[in-house]
Amino acid sequence: MDSLHAIGFYVSSGVSLAGGLGVALLPSRDRRGVSLAVLGLGLAGIYLTLSAGLAAIVALLCYLGGAAMFASPQYRRLETVVGATWRQVGAIAAGALLAVLAYSAFRGDFVHASFYGGTFGAANLGRVFFAHDAVATAALAAIVFAALAGAVALWRARERGR
Amino acid sequence: MSVGLVATFFVAAGLIATGAFAAVWRRDLTAALAAIPLMFAGIGVAFVGVARFGAVGGPQLFGQEFAVVLAIAAIALLALGLGIAGREAPR
Repeated sequence: MDSLHAIGFYVSSGVSLAGGLGVALLPSRDRRGVSLAVLGLGLAGIYLTLSAGLAAIVALLCYLGGAAMFASPQYRRLETVVGATWRQVGAIAAGALLAVLAYSAFRGDFVHASFYGGTFGAANLGRVFFAHDAVATAALAAIVFAALAGAVALWRARERGR
Repeated sequence: MSVGLVATFFVAAGLIATGAFAAVWRRDLTAALAAIPLMFAGIGVAFVGVARFGAVGGPQLFGQEFAVVLAIAAIALLALGLGIAGREAPR
């Protein structure tokens, strides 16, 4: 991997982590939506520098759609009853998770091998999706359809109840 | 300057941990839903990194394929969660 790709990877990683922190910490829903879009942009950059162009396009579209849903005026707050102490304990546990994952990535003995895919990979990936794993692709489409139909049904039931 | 599997795993670890932090830190359950695409993004980066740097003996596209599936599933889960939150939230 040449240094231009490496710079792109590290810049995209910084953008995606900044977007993730924005999602976790920013107070208003529209700013969190923008942060989710920034996360999607950074994620697409990471995928692109790792020679996964089709995955980059799909991830960018999905995360932009998620950001639009998240920042929409139909957003409703749902408060939890968990106390501040437990939230702090959870935050410390998330820090410990980061330490464990980073340590295992640093100490892991991974295989080094050359890359066999193309720069974009769309043809190979399309072959895998629609020929080799066509049943899994159809199942995924059914799951997405059920989720979106369920979301629409829930919204309509709520609006009808008003 | 170079990128390896360890660097991609570091980025993936950062995204997953940030997602876990967002899930436990937000008081608003609807806002905590955004942790799902965050953690799925981290898992996807790890899978694409393995597909890029760990391909032995031929093209290993499973990682890229799984990253696409994860992105779509994350948005489907987010849509469903936002729908449920919109139904359950006080009027």
